[in-house]
Amino acid sequence: MRLLRHCLILLMSLVSLLPFYALLIKATGSPGLDTGTSLNLLPGLYFGNLMEAWRYSAMGRSILNSAIITTGGITLVVLASSSAGYAIARFSNRFHRLVFNTFLFCMMIPPIIITVPLYILMRTIAGINSHWAMILVCGANAIPFSVFLYTSFIKSISREIEESAIVDGCTWFSAFWRITFPLLQPITAAVVIINGLGIWNNYAQAVFFLQSQSMRTIPLAISMFFQQYGAKWNLMAAAAMIGMAPAIVTFLVFQKYFIKGLAQGAVKG
Amino acid sequence: MLLHKLQGNLHKFMALPAVLLFTFFFIYPLSRGITLSLTDWNGISKPDFVGLRNFVDFFHDSRALGDVRTTVLFALGSAPLLNIFGFLYALVLDRKFHGKNIVRIIVYLPAIISPLIMGYIWYYILQPERGFLSRLLQQAGMGSLNTNWLSDSNIVLWVLILVNVWQYVGMTMVIYLAGLQSIPVEMNEACKIDGAGYLAALRYVTIPLLAPAIKINVVTNIIGSLSVFEIIMALTDGGPGYSTESLSIYIMRMCYGSFTGYSTAVAIILFLIILIPVVLFLMFIKKREYEM
Repeated sequence: MRLLRHCLILLMSLVSLLPFYALLIKATGSPGLDTGTSLNLLPGLYFGNLMEAWRYSAMGRSILNSAIITTGGITLVVLASSSAGYAIARFSNRFHRLVFNTFLFCMMIPPIIITVPLYILMRTIAGINSHWAMILVCGANAIPFSVFLYTSFIKSISREIEESAIVDGCTWFSAFWRITFPLLQPITAAVVIINGLGIWNNYAQAVFFLQSQSMRTIPLAISMFFQQYGAKWNLMAAAAMIGMAPAIVTFLVFQKYFIKGLAQGAVKG
Repeated sequence: MLLHKLQGNLHKFMALPAVLLFTFFFIYPLSRGITLSLTDWNGISKPDFVGLRNFVDFFHDSRALGDVRTTVLFALGSAPLLNIFGFLYALVLDRKFHGKNIVRIIVYLPAIISPLIMGYIWYYILQPERGFLSRLLQQAGMGSLNTNWLSDSNIVLWVLILVNVWQYVGMTMVIYLAGLQSIPVEMNEACKIDGAGYLAALRYVTIPLLAPAIKINVVTNIIGSLSVFEIIMALTDGGPGYSTESLSIYIMRMCYGSFTGYSTAVAIILFLIILIPVVLFLMFIKKREYEM
């Protein structure tokens, strides 16, 4: 029984890792090796592909664009939805209930539905090919779920902590930022991780709103690279490896928070 | 004095930034989309009101109906498989063992990567002759199993479903794991003392207590599968022909073309296709929760 379980676990890990391994072999193999049908199972020590892919794809610029948009979007979402969650959780009135229910309903609407009218709006406000507009769009998409998470978490914290701060001379507003907001750290981690991934990997909207080459995010750069160099497998594999590296490194460094944060969000949600 | 009064009342407006942002970049486009869906707008000239004609046209548009079929079949395969495998994975990984953390990280790894990039990687793995899978099967002496994974119309949809399940099983698993860990150990011990077998304990204790995790997993998987986009774009680009084109890809292509008004109508239909199963499921689980 125990042996069976261990075999299962090994199989699960292999299945998840195999494509990454295939990628590594391709990306580090020299292009000459790619003839015939033989199976090469060892990663090479050839870094030419990686260097060429880096140069051709202008990936540095794309990583920077992705980083700017993701950081901006997350900051916006955390500030706007934590304070909205506080207002909804602490000051129940008809407006706040309406807002909460609207968000709840809109969680079911995938953003792709509003692409066309959003594109028209972006054109009117000159937001095509700009970081700030993409940040606002990604932020808006993330609002409903994040407000939902913050609201339920704040409701589970006693309001006495704010009331005692108010006795000491705080306003409800400053009590939130000084006292409550630091306590929200576990749910903030969940919001940052879930939305950070969503914004970082966003393609369906980026492809419409970030068209110029200098504004491309990583998924856009990869898809352009595929259209140009798709026939050169080694090069394409190298580009994919570069494109996924920032996400993998971030994940490995913060993996404890990733899995915990996601679970936290799920349990509360 | 006035400033002081303003500061004291500032908390009443704390929901406003989120509300304004969301209204401007979501609610407003959504309502604009609904009005546009009633026009014949081509993206350039002045839109004319055509009533429900776009919606009537949809039911005579064989490509669109084929896309509905593809999308629904994809979701029918993908959403249940994700939940089943996610749950089984969580059961296997819930016990303590050496290296548990590493296995979790490995299984979760694909879910953090852009589905577009992951799709391209699978595209190469699944190429006939030169692809990794094809060579692997040949080496293993099972070359006869090889087929044209991405253009054989009998299996291509299954391939897409499996790639999607492969990528997101870790995400579903992590949520089930969180649910499993919130079940008190005494519950399972009480079951053992009462002489309940593993399956009985699973059926009468574990699964009912997992209701919140099941709810969030089923809902997110329904929404995710029905709005599938990147994986199909990268793997088949909707082909062969339009046979694996999903509705969200169709919407995208229609609005790149000159059928802007029509594409917003299709978007609203996709929204209804997503809304109906989600609402039905939530009603079902609410009734069950009430009974328990």
